[in-house]
Amino acid sequence: MIEKERLVTIVGPGKVINEPQVLQAYSQDMSFVNPVRPAYVVTPNKADEVQKIIQLANDTQTPLVPVSSGPPHFRGDTVPGTGGAVIVDLSQMKKVIFVDRARRVAMVEPGVTFDELIPVVNKEGLRLNMPLLPRKCKSVAGSILEREPVIMPKYQWDISDPLACAGLFFGTGDEFRTGQAAGPGTIEEQWAVGGVQKSPYGPGTGSWHRLIQGAQGTMGIVTWISMRCEILPSIEEPFVVGSSNLDSLIELSSWLIRLRNVNECFILNKTNLAAIFAKKYPTEYQNLKDNLPAWTLFYNLAGYEYFPEERISAYIKEINDLTQRLRIEAVKTVGGVSANEILKAVQQPSGEPYWKLRYKGACQDIFFLTIYDKLEGQIGVMNHLADEAGYGASNIGIYIQPVVQGTSCHCEFNLFFDSGNPIELDRVKTLSASATRELMAKGAFFSRPYGENTGMIVNRDAATFVALHKIKKIFDPNNVMNPGKTGF
Amino acid sequence: MSLEQYQEHMAMCMRCSCCKFIPMQRVQGDKYTYVCPSITKYNFHSYSGGGRLNIGLAMLKNGFKYTDKLLDIVYNCQMCGACGVSCNYSMDMEVMEPINEFRIKCVEGGKINPALEKVIAGLRKEGSMVPVKGKRGDWASGLNLKNAAKEKVDVLYHVGCLTSYDKDMQRLARTTVKILQKADVNFGIAGDNETCCGGRAYQMGYEQDFLNQAKKNMAMIKKAGVNTVVTSCADGYQAFKVLYDKFNLKGNLEVLHISEFVDRLIKDGKLKPQKKVAMAITYHDPCHLGRLGEPWIHWEGKKLSKSFVFDPPKEYRRGTHGIYEPPRDVLKSIPGIKFTEMTRIKEYAWCCGAGGGVNESNPEFAQWTARERIEEAGSTGAEAIVTACPWCEKTFNETVKGNGSSLKVYDIVELVEKAIS
Amino acid sequence: MALSKEIYTVFEDVVGPENICNDYVIMPSYFGKDFAAIILPKNTAEVQGVVKLCNKYKLKFRPICTGWKGTFPENIILLDLRRMNHIIEINEKNMYAVVEPYVISAQLQAELMKRGFHFNVKGAGTNTAAMLRGHGHLDQTTSGDDRNHLAIEWVTPEGNIVRSGSLGSTDEWFSGDGPGPSLRSILTSAVPPGSTPGVFTKAAVKIYHWPGPSRLPVQGVSPNITLSEIPPNFMARYYSFPSLEKMMQAEFKIGESEIAFELMGFNVAMVANNMTVSNEEGEEVFNQLKKEIQGVGFFIIIAGNCAADFEYKKKVLKHIINETGGKSLESIEKDPRTEGILLTNCIRISGSIRESFRSGGWFASIPMMGQRDLTVRWAVGAGKAKRSLIEKGLIVDDGGGFFGWGVEHGHLGKTEIFCQYDPLKPGAEEAVLKWKEEQQKRASDEHYFAMLWGPEDEIGKGLCNYQSWWSKIKKAIDPNGVALEAGSLV
Repeated sequence: MIEKERLVTIVGPGKVINEPQVLQAYSQDMSFVNPVRPAYVVTPNKADEVQKIIQLANDTQTPLVPVSSGPPHFRGDTVPGTGGAVIVDLSQMKKVIFVDRARRVAMVEPGVTFDELIPVVNKEGLRLNMPLLPRKCKSVAGSILEREPVIMPKYQWDISDPLACAGLFFGTGDEFRTGQAAGPGTIEEQWAVGGVQKSPYGPGTGSWHRLIQGAQGTMGIVTWISMRCEILPSIEEPFVVGSSNLDSLIELSSWLIRLRNVNECFILNKTNLAAIFAKKYPTEYQNLKDNLPAWTLFYNLAGYEYFPEERISAYIKEINDLTQRLRIEAVKTVGGVSANEILKAVQQPSGEPYWKLRYKGACQDIFFLTIYDKLEGQIGVMNHLADEAGYGASNIGIYIQPVVQGTSCHCEFNLFFDSGNPIELDRVKTLSASATRELMAKGAFFSRPYGENTGMIVNRDAATFVALHKIKKIFDPNNVMNPGKTGF
Repeated sequence: MSLEQYQEHMAMCMRCSCCKFIPMQRVQGDKYTYVCPSITKYNFHSYSGGGRLNIGLAMLKNGFKYTDKLLDIVYNCQMCGACGVSCNYSMDMEVMEPINEFRIKCVEGGKINPALEKVIAGLRKEGSMVPVKGKRGDWASGLNLKNAAKEKVDVLYHVGCLTSYDKDMQRLARTTVKILQKADVNFGIAGDNETCCGGRAYQMGYEQDFLNQAKKNMAMIKKAGVNTVVTSCADGYQAFKVLYDKFNLKGNLEVLHISEFVDRLIKDGKLKPQKKVAMAITYHDPCHLGRLGEPWIHWEGKKLSKSFVFDPPKEYRRGTHGIYEPPRDVLKSIPGIKFTEMTRIKEYAWCCGAGGGVNESNPEFAQWTARERIEEAGSTGAEAIVTACPWCEKTFNETVKGNGSSLKVYDIVELVEKAIS
Repeated sequence: MALSKEIYTVFEDVVGPENICNDYVIMPSYFGKDFAAIILPKNTAEVQGVVKLCNKYKLKFRPICTGWKGTFPENIILLDLRRMNHIIEINEKNMYAVVEPYVISAQLQAELMKRGFHFNVKGAGTNTAAMLRGHGHLDQTTSGDDRNHLAIEWVTPEGNIVRSGSLGSTDEWFSGDGPGPSLRSILTSAVPPGSTPGVFTKAAVKIYHWPGPSRLPVQGVSPNITLSEIPPNFMARYYSFPSLEKMMQAEFKIGESEIAFELMGFNVAMVANNMTVSNEEGEEVFNQLKKEIQGVGFFIIIAGNCAADFEYKKKVLKHIINETGGKSLESIEKDPRTEGILLTNCIRISGSIRESFRSGGWFASIPMMGQRDLTVRWAVGAGKAKRSLIEKGLIVDDGGGFFGWGVEHGHLGKTEIFCQYDPLKPGAEEAVLKWKEEQQKRASDEHYFAMLWGPEDEIGKGLCNYQSWWSKIKKAIDPNGVALEAGSLV
């Protein structure tokens, strides 16, 4: 095991923790991965400290587990896969390095949360393309590196968006900067001629940022990212469409995204919408569920600098033609929840407690990418398995998020449960595994494999995994970077 | 002209591949996108227009070494000119001329194709590009047509080798004269004295043989005092109108294709297509009437030093002034005709397959090319494909028979005759 | 280096004798190199077969699509993918199309337009392969570079078949990333400036809404092609500005307001060439347009999804132009025929060759994708450096201009500057290549951006030594060293 003093030399005293209760907190999360206690938690403040930690890890064959968000964690990627690991907690690296309105880009360290960044970018007239209601202490960089789906599919041109560039150290300890940030010159030299590290391609043939996204820290540790931002609208006009017919909502949302009329756009089932807005459980939650339609599509129209009302008015006209054709109606309220409320909520992180935990205290997410034609079948499978398992289809929260300008959609099943109840826990654990298997058979693409289901996911595409493994061995030859994750 | 004179042009080719396709604006989908039969069938880039220029340039620089493959590339080209049209949408450079010169160079160097050599032997002996049976003027027996050599006529009707000698095609000559008679045209024929225009010989690379024929024809025309030649063969049309002019042999001779002439007659009220011909048709533009039929441009000048402009401005033949509308106007004037265009038409029409000597040297390739066209014609829903060249018609007829297709094949004069009788 | 008869026969067994050739006469049409053989595979299985044989016999190989220009070493196997020319799938609901390498952009674009879609076409023209990593006129609304790829079917340098993303897991093409990290980190391009070793045998590309008619109403006989009418809710204009600064302001505002279907920062030399049918006419029109403009400018197409949308976009455009002192080129605004020519050429991307090659026959260019304003700042200097070459008559006089545009409504950008020259004119090519080298060096020395043409280790030093990582990746995926990178442009 690594000696504490060697870590202290790098990060300073007080930044190397091995108190049992702290280690206990990092040894497990809300997922079903086996708890594994780390040896230490280190909290570096500077990039060169991170580099030295990685170099030390290589010298001593010590596994490293990068973490950037605050607890609770949900996916198992921050729990060590093996003993003797050092948690590299970057949550104290909290600099917002710059925000540039003209070029619509911000650069942040990994510890910056959505809660912290949103007001800073808003002040510059910008906004973030966010995931749906991230928890308060969720790291922006962490979310982006995990390829979490974002709620404005119009502005997600590529699955890597909103990531622009990243500064990192590979598992070898070598420094690297992706995209435009790579050079020529240092970041500061680039700034001096007006460079803002916006362009993600390269350097060279590689699109290196894609290698670190989705990697769960298995390739290296990121010490800053730059990300594209969007312009803050001058006016917004949100709408909701409720229906028991998911198909018509999908059809509408696909057109809205295709025509690029809408900013935020997603679908929630009544369970999830109730979970987000209920303040009291179980009564208010149940009442909301009872009053809400089975499905609600939420979308938001925005106007910017020039004639914003006319822009919105033109969009509304166009959307009316669509809704009439589909025999659905865009309104301002469904089942007691207003579109404005939803808009206000989703432009911020979740309030406390985190919305997924309010009902039962724990939540297991099953999420994948799919195409519209397969979605109903996959939901049907999930519902059937949930009923069979005694969980009950009506208890599943469902979130459908078109991504990458509608080329696919993220489908997420949220299984709320009481982790203190062993029967519920076991039921959800078993359901999660069986659902993953069955959904894969129905064409669900688990592009972000987490936890104990990782093996069955990556085994499905051995050829890709073999290629990725070759790459992994180059960037982390000693396998110190979060070993056991993403199938490595 | 020589290949060397086109070195600059060949050097301009930057391998954009446009020569393989119809002009990009005209592409309507996945199908019927290609315009060059040679690259479409043989796939190696060398078979494209640009590929041929690349080879020509290399040989000028490095010397000429002939292989079977080279001759395969050279002779498996219908010389249809489509590559040049596509290239010249954007580029100011000669394409067909250097391709032609390369072939001429092959022939002059003795690198011949035996099948073509046989055809030319026939030309030298009989003045015909097709096997001769009987006399050239036999198709006209009993018709009492004027002999243009002996009587004053306004128009010399040049029949062409295939129409004269092929039993199946002779009807086209008889149909044509019927139309001319109906319109009271003062015309005559050369009969047995008619000789091949030389156009197909030129396509095959036999420049001297072509010139021999051209001189013979112009001598006869001059002697007969004829001012206008009308022909129903697209090859003949292109020979008289373009090639004779290129070699300064044409003088002031007016050259018209029968479709142009009939169009004029209809518009002048001398022909009235009044009888209904209920037929769904599509029209195939013969290469030598269309893009290759546009007038020759004589140009001499110099390149200005700073850019690729010339003084006087150099005009390129880009297929713009081929004969496209007159045949269409004629067909549209026939009552009952339902006309649907194919995708590849006019200056970017797909070749019938018969040109450039391919009909003789590689009948299988010619048939393959024609099959592509028949399929395209069928896709329009037409029951008949109409053309204005006996070589196109012959090739299509052979293909349709071979395919078991129900598509009918007509020459434009056949439909006109139905409408006026 | 001739292939031995034995090895030649083995390749023949894979593709058939009519689809392999090593006769010297075909080499001039393949970049003038002495290749070991040109091979034309028909499908993925044949590509795999050829690649495995290359590994077995230690023969280097390189694939090409349409193969427009290129640099290659000799004695390699060149895979000409001409026979792989099928559109595999068009998924309208999820907005992607799957193509083989030799589907040209014009084919895919026409099929998509019939269905109410279009896609990003490489600026070189619709005669280029549809699957390519590309950037072009349509980037404002259709993104660019490798950002339009979804799943890719890849024959690796070792001859294995890898299907990226959802394709490998679910047999669907909608995503190219995962599970876990993305292979699109290395599957970035079939062609330079950087290309992935191996062969892309199929690729899914994003498609976008097309607000126009199922077929553009093209009329005329080549080369005089225009539109019989301007399609409803379409408008094309060219605006010039009193300064580069004002033009960039307008470009950024237009990007942010998301009103442009296309924004193409042509200089008027390119506009003149695009809309004319010959060099002489091009020069004449250039001289005329020079008098009409007040400075640099751009070409823009506005397209509305409906009448209300169109009116809104026009109103915003007018406002921005007024704010920035822009002036509309009357030659386009007042002449529907000219407007139609430019609409055709800038939607079907059929005028690029006129813009870039016709005047001089050849051109040498420095294209940069990235941060638009930064690359423009550099390009101003590169443009000034062109003047001495113009004055000496070594290159075509285009006013020392450069061009470019915003990508993804201005989030990213592309800037390009080129010199057109006569390849047979003494001294022209050397001067142009010298200019190119100097300007690229200046870009690197002054920290604008780095070009990747040149000695890798030298260039890589200033770019986080990316080349050493890439070299390791190459060794890992290509242990026999048979898959070459650099090659044909499109």
